[in-house]
Amino acid sequence: MKPSDVDVYAPPENSHVSPRALYVHVPFCRHRCGYCDFTLVADKDDLVPAYLKALENEVNRLDGEYEVDTIFIGGGTPTHLSTKQMERLAEILLSRFQLTAGGEFSVEANPDGLSDDIMKTLSGIGVNRISLGVQSFDPEVLKTLERQHTPVEAQAVIERSVDIFAQVSLDLIFGVPGQTFDSWIATLEAARQFPVRHISTYGLTFEKGTDFYRRLQQGRIQVAPDDLERDMYAAAMSQLARAGVPQYEISNFAAVGAECRHNTVYWQANEYFAFGPGAARYVNGVRSTNARNVSRWIHCWLNGKSALQEVEQLSDEEKRREAVFLGLRLVEGIDVSVFRDRFSSDVVEIANASAQQHLQTGLLEIADNHLRLTLDGRFLADTVMADFL
Amino acid sequence: MDARLIRNFSIIAHIDHGKSTLADQLLLKSGTITEREFRSQILDDLDIERDRGITVKARSVTIDYVYQGETYELNLIDTPGHVDFHYEVSRSLAACEGALLLIDAFQGVQAQTVANAYAAIEADLEIVPVVNKIDLAVTRIDEVLDEVETVLGLDGTDALRVSAKAGMNIESVFEAIIERLPPPAGVAKNPFKALVFDSKYDKYRGVVTYVRVVDGSVCKGDNIRFMREGVSSEVIELGQFRPGLVPCDELRPGQVGYILTGVKELNRITIGDTVTMARAPAAEPLPGYQKPKQMVFCGMYPLDATGFESLRDELQKLSLNDSSFSFQPETSDALGFGFRCGFLGMLHMEIVQQRLEREQDMDLIQTAPNVTYEIVNRRGDVMVIDNPQDVPDAGEIQEFKEPIARVTFIVPADNVGTIMQLSQDRRGIYKNTEFLGPQRAQVIYELPLSEIVYDMYDKLKSVTRGYGTMDYEIIGFEAADLVKMDVLVKGERVDALSTIVHRTTSDRRGRALVKRLKTEINKHQFEIAIQAAIGAKIIARETISAFRKNVTAKCYGGDISRKRKLLEKQKAGKKRMKQFGAVEIPQKAFLSVLEANRDE
Repeated sequence: MKPSDVDVYAPPENSHVSPRALYVHVPFCRHRCGYCDFTLVADKDDLVPAYLKALENEVNRLDGEYEVDTIFIGGGTPTHLSTKQMERLAEILLSRFQLTAGGEFSVEANPDGLSDDIMKTLSGIGVNRISLGVQSFDPEVLKTLERQHTPVEAQAVIERSVDIFAQVSLDLIFGVPGQTFDSWIATLEAARQFPVRHISTYGLTFEKGTDFYRRLQQGRIQVAPDDLERDMYAAAMSQLARAGVPQYEISNFAAVGAECRHNTVYWQANEYFAFGPGAARYVNGVRSTNARNVSRWIHCWLNGKSALQEVEQLSDEEKRREAVFLGLRLVEGIDVSVFRDRFSSDVVEIANASAQQHLQTGLLEIADNHLRLTLDGRFLADTVMADFL
Repeated sequence: MDARLIRNFSIIAHIDHGKSTLADQLLLKSGTITEREFRSQILDDLDIERDRGITVKARSVTIDYVYQGETYELNLIDTPGHVDFHYEVSRSLAACEGALLLIDAFQGVQAQTVANAYAAIEADLEIVPVVNKIDLAVTRIDEVLDEVETVLGLDGTDALRVSAKAGMNIESVFEAIIERLPPPAGVAKNPFKALVFDSKYDKYRGVVTYVRVVDGSVCKGDNIRFMREGVSSEVIELGQFRPGLVPCDELRPGQVGYILTGVKELNRITIGDTVTMARAPAAEPLPGYQKPKQMVFCGMYPLDATGFESLRDELQKLSLNDSSFSFQPETSDALGFGFRCGFLGMLHMEIVQQRLEREQDMDLIQTAPNVTYEIVNRRGDVMVIDNPQDVPDAGEIQEFKEPIARVTFIVPADNVGTIMQLSQDRRGIYKNTEFLGPQRAQVIYELPLSEIVYDMYDKLKSVTRGYGTMDYEIIGFEAADLVKMDVLVKGERVDALSTIVHRTTSDRRGRALVKRLKTEINKHQFEIAIQAAIGAKIIARETISAFRKNVTAKCYGGDISRKRKLLEKQKAGKKRMKQFGAVEIPQKAFLSVLEANRDE
């Protein structure tokens, strides 16, 4: 489908799936880490005013005002903005979107340069959940990842965050070149010392276009051995569960009730608004992604023109299949009855047709009226999910 | 058309010395095409040629040029520019009286300059040396002309100096073509005789036959005969390349053009054949015809058994456009029904495979290439082996022979030692070194062809940082201590992975191969042993451990489309694999034999 074929900013049709979530992408960072392939520009703060103007234009392209249950400002490093700029960003969003009472308002942040002032500003605009890119408490690993903070700085930031925000989440990375199993255990241990109720763990991937990918191609760094990565992932599952933060999704762990509501929208294949370069939205059954090139997105929107990378109108069949592969990311899996109500089809039948062997070899199970990955299945989730596509 | 006013010529050159650019300039300056038509029409019409900057198919174009008040008809017959296409080059040259030998003003004489110049000398052509790129910041024109004299034995004093890119001195090229190349010497009243120097298949017109008339003439409606194939047919249309197909009434001695006969069968017109009249035929066909000799073979199998018939159709189509390519059905225990395909060389093979995949969207499994061997068995019979699976038991073999090539390297003087080492390691026999000047040398070796086709070209480029060039010709077969090496995957012999290796290198090759296969075959949910064996003896082993983790945590924010595409890609990757028992072997693994050698 060509981007011009559909208006992705058309107001959502009134239906039970119409978007109740909002994502905004802030593409600024001080430094691009070697493993990162997200949409961002490093050390280009002079672009922020133009970005904000462009964002205002994009947001205003949508007619009407909407109430949402969750707002998520991701990046990049949203907290790289100045307090004034952050206030302006909030003003733009809140002019059109209203957060319901008790709604979740998340912002991603890096420990590096996270000032008290910006935290106060965030709190002032209604942010009640902060997700901190801690990644590791091992200085060597941080260095490999090219993170700009030290473990000590991270600790201080976590402690201050806990005082200010109702919810604090930590991002941790495993499978980093040179990272030992013991280093990972120590990082998990350190994370448990804080009163945080949500932790995300990511196995490092080598994405095309990153410095890490290039170094891997040249043989200058090595992928962590398969077995070590599995052991690290398994350790996260058991350690965090013991700490009262059990796994609820492939890469997420939370105390009961502290699950990220915004991300859950994705996994349940529900719709959401999105703005900013590289941002992906799902509205009126159409998935669309904004241009990932930051200056192109800015340039287009400064001229009032949309900047889309791709647009996909999902067929009913595609919606169904997508709901399966996304739903399997959740530990509780897919509720058979809910699935039937929504798609008028039987998810167990789909599984029998597409992934029989995984049911037989015990990577998938049907239990408590749910289709889900088993513990073994979680380690091979991509293998299983691919068979549903 | 008066033969006095006709000139038939080729441009011959080493790759990247500017052949296409000069051809384009001749067309532009003569008004054969306009600037506007230039882009869309003149680019090589095959994607693969465009990508690689290599002309594979010969092209031809007729240029009208007014010189001293007379209009000349200049026929440019383009030649393929790669080491694999010797025969095609010789065929195109046989249609000419002269050649422009184009040489880069900085790079000077290179291996293919030598090979092409010798081919032109052998074809008895008048050669005009043309130094190109004289507008480069750094040139060494005098040295280059010295090389032309010392290496090629051609007189450099009358060499032209041009820049095709900048359009400098292009008039001097026209002048030389007209003044220095002889006109064709055909006899109009002799029986009609023409050389088929190329052909192409056109969906709507059938076979387009490219001819150069030698004697007599041909008109629409004539009943003609292809002498070697014994096919007769009526001429439906004939014409010239201007540069599209433009019909005319008659082709006379010396002229170059095309003939449409309504022959639609793909394999009935062979290149190098002679066309004559069915009723009053010429006594003898033109000399020099040979069946193209395929020296490199590989198996091509449809990924899915239902693709067999359509693969056959596609191979047939390709073989028409490319007379030097052959194929015949074969079966493999591992891969099922497919074809053994013969090629002139490695590049030729890659081009054919890519063309199949790109133009026909076919998913193919291709086995590692091998050269052709000869085996003399105990009874004294000679068997030609172009598939390692056909090698009989060791006890049956009296003599195992492999093709030997005479290889000419032209390298910077500093690299002579490295090239000698490289050749020595590949069982080469040293012949001779000649310095082309203080900076560069020509080194000649006799090497087994199998050692060349695998990686010689890549190795040469890497050790000489791109400055070295090579060319080779087959000089015969020689006995050697060769053995068949098999590969077992999880205890099962995969016949498509068998190779022929020299006994002294078999241990090393075996180890490299299983190591390479280990990286190509993905982990499964169980352990897989990979072994190399000669007869019953296992010479190398690697184990692929069971796979334990395949989950990418990251969900790219809300970018579900991207995640889905990655999963789809993973799934599509599985499509290009062949199932052996419980083991999935990816397409690429069948080329591991090659890669393993490169890794050494």
